Amino acid sequence: MIATPNRTVLACLLLLLASTSWNLLAEPKAKQKTATQSSSAVSNDSYMGLSGEELWSNNCMRCHNIRPPTMYSNAQWDVIVHHMRIRANITGQEQRAIVEFLKAAK
Amino acid sequence: MKIHRCLVAIIQIALVMAWPVARAQEPTTDGYVTRKEYEKLKAQMLAMKQELDALKQENAAVSKQASVESHAVADIHKEVAPKQENAESEASADMHKEVTATTTPSVAELEASLLGTTKFLVAGWAEGMFEARNGNVSTFSASFNPIFLWEMTPKLLFDSRLEIEPSGGGTNVNLVNAQISYLLNDYMVLGVGEFFSPSNVFVERFEPQWINKLPDRPLAVYHGVLPNISVGAQVRGGFPIGPTRANYAFYVANGPTLNTFDARTAGTLDFNSYTDNNDDKAVGGRVGFLPIPGVEAGYGFETSKPGFQGTKFADVRDLVQSVDLAITRDSDLLKGRINLFAQYAWSKIDHAVYDPDGSLGFGPLPLTAKRDGGYAELAYRPTKLDNDFLRNLEMIFRWDHLSREPSGLGDPEETRWTLGLNYWLSPSTVVKAAYEWDKPAGQRNKNALFFQTAMGF
Repeated sequence: MIATPNRTVLACLLLLLASTSWNLLAEPKAKQKTATQSSSAVSNDSYMGLSGEELWSNNCMRCHNIRPPTMYSNAQWDVIVHHMRIRANITGQEQRAIVEFLKAAK
Repeated sequence: MKIHRCLVAIIQIALVMAWPVARAQEPTTDGYVTRKEYEKLKAQMLAMKQELDALKQENAAVSKQASVESHAVADIHKEVAPKQENAESEASADMHKEVTATTTPSVAELEASLLGTTKFLVAGWAEGMFEARNGNVSTFSASFNPIFLWEMTPKLLFDSRLEIEPSGGGTNVNLVNAQISYLLNDYMVLGVGEFFSPSNVFVERFEPQWINKLPDRPLAVYHGVLPNISVGAQVRGGFPIGPTRANYAFYVANGPTLNTFDARTAGTLDFNSYTDNNDDKAVGGRVGFLPIPGVEAGYGFETSKPGFQGTKFADVRDLVQSVDLAITRDSDLLKGRINLFAQYAWSKIDHAVYDPDGSLGFGPLPLTAKRDGGYAELAYRPTKLDNDFLRNLEMIFRWDHLSREPSGLGDPEETRWTLGLNYWLSPSTVVKAAYEWDKPAGQRNKNALFFQTAMGF
């Protein structure tokens, strides 16, 4: 690697900024809990303590805006989440929980 | 009762009227009624009275019967009507059940079996763009990028993307990828074909223009230091590690070709050559780690022997590497969502002497070629504001860079700064405007203005 010291400093500062601002930007814990409770009412399936809705939101929003469950039919969601499982490297359990949420939310 | 009184009155009037007539018919001596006449009239009156009583009784009987019948009819109606309505309702419900029972599975089956037992979907995206770059003529461009997804079974998927765009006097159609994937278990997928190179997270995840937040793609990671497309086989998946998660992707592929015939490109890798030039296969992969939801850091690499088999470059080895970071965070404090994407890549190619006998006009050129570059992009969208217009706006800032060593060969070092403003018409439809400050070393600026709209479907 031929990064100059300036670039290295820039990269370190960027990481430091990201890590220190994490808690500052975080949602209040009470709100996070409320979101979890409300989502668990939609789907009881969970993985690592996350509901299907949370898995759907967390995994999809890593790369792009989330699309509403009503946008596709159940059969289409089966194919799309199958495809996204491969692309985003999510597990089979996460795939099933997300599909179950998307179908139930419709 | 009125009828009875009328009858009595009629009879009395008839008697009164009949009396003089009778008298006129039977001669009398002194104007008085004879005994015989009296008895005759009495008998007639009794007969008429009996007939009148009979008529009364008959009339009363008829009225009573009519009343009874009327009540009976009403009672019957009361009894029958609800039963009939219930019966009709039940019959209707039964029929509905039958119809529903036969219809619901039919719709579901129809939906599930439009193409037999497989599931087929055309997804993808389309874009239209205007670009005005200093030193070039301004131009519009467009492309249509359908993605064909065919789920043969719940474990078997074929996916392929085409890139269709107007060019010159015709239309270019490129096969971007075509891969068959099989889910081995919950944590492992096997893929074979032409796929987005897992060592380059940008092309795998952020390259489609409805996902890429700026109209153009960053230097170095897109058609630069890293491979974009690989032809080969891969194994990939994700798994939990306690409260965190990790993912991986490893592959073997044909690998790049080493450029050796031109001074400008000598020592660089051609990743667009999809057929192999030797028996050595490229090996690569990426591992990602997600300590908490919304944060992923990764490391990718690929190594190969890119020289043509049988030449003196056959043993030259290359190594390309990449680190990446993606952070997505909803913030109440900032009333919106923050995205930070960053990726930095670098490559090294073993020492070699290019054009050793000078026959190509630029040698001998001994060098250990290195390139590096990457980008950092920060985006903010005020998703938590009440105003619909503001909520759909997104501001983006990007820094991207590409350099090579030794300098003075090939493309010059280049650093760009880009500011963008997007408006989201839907979750997957966006209108973008951006301005890019671009000053390659030793050249005049290539600043550019972009307008683009992209729609994912």
